[in-house]
Amino acid sequence: MSSLEVLELSVHAGAKALIADVSLSVDAGTWCTVIGPNGAGKTTLVETVAGLRRASHGTVTFSGESVSTMNERQRALRVAVVPQHPIIPFGMSVHDYVALGRTAYHGLLRAPSSKDRRCVEEVLERLSLVEFASRDVATLSGGERQRMVLARALAQATTVMVLDEPITGLDLRHQIAILELLQKEVRECGLTVLATLHDLTLAGQFADRLVLLDQGRMVLDGPSGDVVRSRELAECYGMDLRVIDVDGADVVIPVRH
Amino acid sequence: MALVAVAILAALVVAMVCGLVIGPTSIGTLRVLGDVVSHLGMGHSTLTPTQSEIIWQLRAPRMVLGLLAGAMLAVAGGTYQGVFRNPLADPYLLGVAAGAGLGATIAIVDVGGAVVTPSWTPILAFAGALLAVAVTWAIGGRGLRSSTATLILAGVAVAALFTSAQTFLQQQSSTTSLARVYIWLLGSLASASWSSVTLVLPYVVVCVVICVAAGRALDVMSVGEDESRSLGLPVRRVRLIVIVASSLGTAAIVSAVGLIGFVGIIVPHIVRLLVGTSYRRILPLSVAFGAAFLVFADTIARTVLAPSELPLGVVTAIVGAPVFVIILSLRRPMAA
Repeated sequence: MSSLEVLELSVHAGAKALIADVSLSVDAGTWCTVIGPNGAGKTTLVETVAGLRRASHGTVTFSGESVSTMNERQRALRVAVVPQHPIIPFGMSVHDYVALGRTAYHGLLRAPSSKDRRCVEEVLERLSLVEFASRDVATLSGGERQRMVLARALAQATTVMVLDEPITGLDLRHQIAILELLQKEVRECGLTVLATLHDLTLAGQFADRLVLLDQGRMVLDGPSGDVVRSRELAECYGMDLRVIDVDGADVVIPVRH
Repeated sequence: MALVAVAILAALVVAMVCGLVIGPTSIGTLRVLGDVVSHLGMGHSTLTPTQSEIIWQLRAPRMVLGLLAGAMLAVAGGTYQGVFRNPLADPYLLGVAAGAGLGATIAIVDVGGAVVTPSWTPILAFAGALLAVAVTWAIGGRGLRSSTATLILAGVAVAALFTSAQTFLQQQSSTTSLARVYIWLLGSLASASWSSVTLVLPYVVVCVVICVAAGRALDVMSVGEDESRSLGLPVRRVRLIVIVASSLGTAAIVSAVGLIGFVGIIVPHIVRLLVGTSYRRILPLSVAFGAAFLVFADTIARTVLAPSELPLGVVTAIVGAPVFVIILSLRRPMAA
C-alpha cells in the first residue's frame, strides 16, 4: 500500500482553483518531489497534504487513513511538516525546539516521557546538533537552523514527511547537506518524502520520482530522468532547457537566446 | 531560575506582611505576626479587639484582593502575550476594560444625583466586560482561517466603540457622578471586603489554574499557528479556552477593583527578562510576582498621601511606565 495517496484533489480560494484534480501516490520509503513554476500550486498541494488546508474536492490518505477525519494530534503522528519559512522562536534552546516534535506524543499537560527525551537526544545526535543543543535558536546560521527544523520533523517519528522548499536561502554545500540527510532517512529508515524544490537539477538528483505541476494542474508524473528531459518541462517554464549528463547525474541548464 | 523563583516568593511574603502591618494605625510587626500565628492555633494574640478588627476586616481582605488582582492580571497578560505572540498584548486587549468601563459608567451615571457608587456597579462592569469580549470574538475570532491579527483589530474596534459610548454618557452626566466614574476607572482596593474576595475568588482560582496549565501549549504556539497545528496542537481550541479563561478572570477582577493598568503588561515582561521565554516558567512566576507587585503598589497608594489615597492605577503606572520603557530598550527580540 502507498504511504501517501492523493486522489483527485482540488483546492479553491474563493472561485479560483489553486490546484485542480491532482492525483499522486508515494510508496513507502521513496521520495517524490513536486516541481513547477511559481504559482503552479506546489505549496498549496503540500499544505493540503499536511492537513493545513481544506480540500474542496478529493482525498489525502496516509496508509489508507483519510487526513480529513484526523484531528491535529492524529495527523502529527503520521505526517511531519517542514515549512518553507519556519518561524524561529527567539529565546528557545535548540534542544527545546527539537523537543516540540514530541508534542503529539506526550500531550499538552504532561512532561515529555523518558522515551520522548531519548528520541530527541537520538535525533540531535543523528543530525550533529548535540553541540548546539543548549544554544538559543536565534544564534544559529541558516544551514544549522534548517538542520534543526529537519530534526524537529524527524523527532515526530512519522512515516511521511512533507517539505516545502527545504533548501531556500542555503548555500550550495548546505543545500546538498540537507538533501543528503533526508536521502539517508529515506534509504535507511524507510521515510516517505513529498517535497517541493525549485532547483531542477537537485530535484532530479535526489527524488525517485518527479511530479510536474503547472497552473494548478498535474502535467507529468514519472521517474526523475524522464521528467527532466521532457518537452513539457520546458513548456511549463517557457524556456529552452538542456539536460547534460555529468558523471551519470542529470544537470538541467536554461538556455538564453 | 531557582534563585529567581525564591526571590519572587520572598517578595511575595514581604508584600503580604507589608499589606497587613503598614497603615495609619501603627501596630507592631511582631504583634501582627503573633496574631497571624495565633489564628493558626499557636500562641496567643496580644492585639486589642479594635486592632484585630483593623487587621482582619480592613487590611487582610484588602491584601488578599490585591494578591488575587495582581496574580490574575499578570497571568492574563502573560497568556495574552503568548496566544497573540505579541509583546504589547495586555489583559485589556480584547475590550475587557472598555466594556467594564461602559458598564460601570452606566451604573454610576444612571443614578444622577446619588452620592454613592451603586452596589450593582460591579455586576454591570462584569457584564460589560464579558459583552465586549464576546462581541470582539464574534467579529474576529470565528471563521476557518481567521488570524489573531483579525481578533486584535476587532478588539481595537470594539474598545473604540464602547469607549466612545462611555465618553458620551460621561459628557451627559453631572460633575459629581463624573468624579465617581473617574475614581472607579482608575482602580482601587479601598472597597475590599471578605465578601468581594469570596465573589472573585472562584473565578480567579479557576482561571489562573487554566492559564498556568496552558504554558506548554503556549510554548508550542511560539512557532506560529500553522506549525503548531502540524505539531499536533489543536490551536483554535487552545486559543478559545485560554482567551475565555484570561478574559473571564480579568472581568471578575476589573468588576471588583476597577481598571488597574500596567500590571498585566510589565509583570510578564520582567519575569521573561529574568527567566527566559518559556511560558511554563513565565506564567507561574507572573502569578507570584504580579500578586506581590500589586500589594506593594497598594501599600504605596494608601500610605503616601494618608489619610487620602492615591488611585492604584496611578501608582502602577508611575512605577510601571519607567520600568516598561527600560524593558523596551533592553527587550530581547520576540519572534515576530
